[in-house]
Amino acid sequence: MWRWTQILVAGGALGSFYALVALGFSLIFGVTHAFNLAYGEFILLSGYLAYFLWKSWGLPFYGTIPVCLVVMPGAALLLHLFLRRVRSPFEINSLVATFGLALVLQNLMLALFSADYRLIQPEAFPFLHLPATGLTITDKQFGLLTFSLAATLLVHLLLRHTFLGKALRATIQEREAAELAGINVNRMGWLAFAFGGLLIGLAGPMYGQTMYIYPAGGVEATLIAITITIFAGVGRTRSLLLGGWLVGLAEAAAAMWLGGSWKELVSALLLITLLVVRPSGLAGRDGNHKP
Amino acid sequence: MEIANPGCRSAKSWPRVNSGRLQLSFRRSGLLQIILVLFVIMFAGSVGAGGKEVIRLGEINPLTGHLAQHGQEIHQGVVYAVEEVNAQGGIQGRPVKLCSRDDQSRPEIALNQAQELIFREKIAGLVGGYVDSLVAPVSELAARYQVPYVASASLQQALTRQRRNPYFFRVSRLDGIVEPLSRFIDEKLKARRVAILHIATPGSTEFAASLRDNLSKVGIAVPLLEKCRAGSRDFSTFLLKVKQAGVDILVSGGFYPDNLILVRQWREMRLPLKALVAPWGVAYQSFISTLGRASEGLLGMCAWNPGITWPGTEAASCRFVQGFRQRFGQEPNTTTMHGYTSARALLLALAQLASRAEPLTGPALSQALRKLEVVLPMEHLKFDEYGDPLYYRQVVVQIQQGRMVVVYPPERAKGWLPTAPSLAE
Amino acid sequence: MGTISRKPYRKQNNFFCRFLASETWPLAAVVGGLLLAWPLCFPKADLYYQVLGMACFYGVLAMAWNILALAGGISLGHSAFFGLGAYGSGLLAHYQGWSPAVTIPLGAMVGAGYGVLWGIFFQRLRGVYFGLATLAAVEIPRVIIDNWGSFTYGSLGLVGIPGLPDLRLGAVEISLGASLRALYYFLLALMCLAGALHFWVMHSRWGWGLRAIRENEAAAAMLGVNVRRSFFLALLLSSFLAGLCGGLYAHLLGLIEPALVFSLHLSALPLVLSIFGGRFHFLGPLLGALLLYPLDQLVLQPYLPMGHAAIYGVVIIATIFFWPRGLTTCLSKRRRSV
Repeated sequence: MWRWTQILVAGGALGSFYALVALGFSLIFGVTHAFNLAYGEFILLSGYLAYFLWKSWGLPFYGTIPVCLVVMPGAALLLHLFLRRVRSPFEINSLVATFGLALVLQNLMLALFSADYRLIQPEAFPFLHLPATGLTITDKQFGLLTFSLAATLLVHLLLRHTFLGKALRATIQEREAAELAGINVNRMGWLAFAFGGLLIGLAGPMYGQTMYIYPAGGVEATLIAITITIFAGVGRTRSLLLGGWLVGLAEAAAAMWLGGSWKELVSALLLITLLVVRPSGLAGRDGNHKP
Repeated sequence: MEIANPGCRSAKSWPRVNSGRLQLSFRRSGLLQIILVLFVIMFAGSVGAGGKEVIRLGEINPLTGHLAQHGQEIHQGVVYAVEEVNAQGGIQGRPVKLCSRDDQSRPEIALNQAQELIFREKIAGLVGGYVDSLVAPVSELAARYQVPYVASASLQQALTRQRRNPYFFRVSRLDGIVEPLSRFIDEKLKARRVAILHIATPGSTEFAASLRDNLSKVGIAVPLLEKCRAGSRDFSTFLLKVKQAGVDILVSGGFYPDNLILVRQWREMRLPLKALVAPWGVAYQSFISTLGRASEGLLGMCAWNPGITWPGTEAASCRFVQGFRQRFGQEPNTTTMHGYTSARALLLALAQLASRAEPLTGPALSQALRKLEVVLPMEHLKFDEYGDPLYYRQVVVQIQQGRMVVVYPPERAKGWLPTAPSLAE
Repeated sequence: MGTISRKPYRKQNNFFCRFLASETWPLAAVVGGLLLAWPLCFPKADLYYQVLGMACFYGVLAMAWNILALAGGISLGHSAFFGLGAYGSGLLAHYQGWSPAVTIPLGAMVGAGYGVLWGIFFQRLRGVYFGLATLAAVEIPRVIIDNWGSFTYGSLGLVGIPGLPDLRLGAVEISLGASLRALYYFLLALMCLAGALHFWVMHSRWGWGLRAIRENEAAAAMLGVNVRRSFFLALLLSSFLAGLCGGLYAHLLGLIEPALVFSLHLSALPLVLSIFGGRFHFLGPLLGALLLYPLDQLVLQPYLPMGHAAIYGVVIIATIFFWPRGLTTCLSKRRRSV
């Protein structure tokens, strides 16, 4: 029995991590249709910022998050300025332009921070340990679960219960119609990048604490973000968390019963099956959505 | 994006293509100019490379990409070896120039860059290389063009045993890791059941299979042998299985970052294990300082480290550490030493040739390397007939109070804590 | 390939004329001429044979990708075909000892077989959903090959794959395995063939049907395009060509391992090369490969061993900013992209 709960905890924490990483991408992609391959590099930048604040300035780990929350929206707005120069066909060109940007950023980080692997707050500290059952929840797992829940809830409240959020949602759902309804789609783009920056600011330190960070590591974060975003449906906050948990649990279960080397296969099959079985459901509106 | 008529101005229009229009389209397209300029730049490099005096040495390492950390470390070791020789007046008065190239952790780029070094820079020999899949194509090239290649970190046995390659040498080999490790597990840890984790790379996979064979020969059971992809984020499920399998020793064939996560999660889960041994990634000062207290009692392996050196080379090792600190402002480690050793081997062979006033050709250099016998801080270096190092043997170290202490083999052991202290206390 | 390439032969004259009528034939002729003739000036330049040969190779891969992209299928998973082609060919050569001349096409068939599966399962997916499905689809063959150690050697990789055989044309013997120059001309010829095929695809009725599918599927169906069949054929041709590249790669390099041939890099490279060169023009992917790859390998790497990848990124960004539809747009005065 304890084994089941332990796998639930491990998969849930992993899934929360996935969802946290994907939130910012989902929002930005939904509103602006910028297919941002440099997203992972921005997470890394945020992670490096948190690392150096923690390591050199002695800030407590949770103290680094507010700083990242202030700095990263600025970086995201710079990215928006960059992407505004990309001309149509926007989605595919933003994909290639940010591929180039990712290369530049990777090498910049390599020159600035060296190729070493960095890890934030490695001190082991179990949050909950029940010797009788063998169940252990570490503080990192607990942090991931709470932060992903909180971030999802906040984004959800923003999108559902504010006027601004409704405008954002309208832009995600039907760009042209939103424009016709008098929504300034351009301004929504700026807002999406600002909010996306906030989410990157949160995800970066969590990434640096859960995973190690190194200059070439952005690709993995980008892949997680793209996968979970499209898996859950663009701009759907709640299903993002659900999708993350589903993939996380599937991976944990596969690692338990099939072996660690099979878990990519299981998550890939899960993704493809869901995409194939429910293309319209996951695709949202018309299923004719082009990059 | 309108769908226009099928762009064919139909068959009838083609006779109208005359020289006038051809001129026009030439002028219009700046693209052609770009192409021509590029061609000129590309071929420009082939003319240079003069200067008979300088001896050129080529180096290929993953300086960017996901293997960059160890690639850069090897690179520093090679740079240091070359600068050391130049500071002593070069080889018979001739300065050595190092030409470094980045393979981006991809084999066909390693091939391109090796070609570039051989043809444009006209190098005398090649060093470097971090992973077998990057070393293997370059070694084939070395044989084809008769340029000796001393690989810094390569393990796979097929590379030397499958086909004789007189131009390929390496300063490390798998036996030098597996053999001491399996003896240590048997003699010192007295293990009964061992779990092995390895990464989906050729070196780590071969290590795991070879270690399992060695352990089962002495009657140690391996109930769990698991592979995972490099860069796994979560080992907690694997650790559950370790707990279930009831093993007393866990051997991790993962690399530096994998071990960071694995060790932390092991500590967090308070898994009862007698020891965790990891041949790669643990025996680094940076690993210990990153993990802090969680690294206490871990077992790792290395061929060299500051303070851990081949018997009789203490003075040379000390000089290296001091010089390296001055030059790079960093501590050298075992990977750096692999780079340094491979470059030293090549430079020593070159010096021998030069002192006999022989021409520095590929075949002569290969002969000199074959006869080379020298005691370096990392190992007593002598190549066997396959180009493998005869006496390469790593030592097992234990992390005690943030420092690495040799615990095996007995003749080099300095101390031993029989049980890994748990962090719970 | 057999069934598809029969058509151009019937209409060859027509297509040849179209080629001459197109505005780009001078450029194609100059590039082809340069590629053919430069070895006369530098007879002993193995480095350039190697790099330009690999550029031709990636040109073929980029064109394979572009055929599917023409129909709107932006694939992020072409390394699946590439890897299956490589493993198919490598394993056949390893176990059966057949000549690469036989095993490479068979390996390409394996890749095309996987393309058939894509065609069946992904037929309703479009746009980013298709892209994601293809991205995930790479994992399936990779994990299976990685874990099936007894047959594929798993993570150890397959080593000792034989090199390309000697070609015999009458009395002339061309040793592709030993001579880089022969290999270069072979890859150049392959690229020209693939380029002709690409030209044919882009200017055939089928190709226009594919474009129609990309723009609006319902409208295309109304106009009488058999959407499913056309898309499926594009996928089949594309996967076969990518598999062919993979098979060649295995024999060129002599060793393969799952992480190497099923890499994200190999999926992204044809996309980048095609869009850099211009994916709406038949020369686009080819020029992308012939410019970008040698630029990085011969110019940036030697002069900037540390920062070359960053400059590479800057070049890509600049191209997207100034030529958003690829370099080849400056060829056409109409600046139309179809």
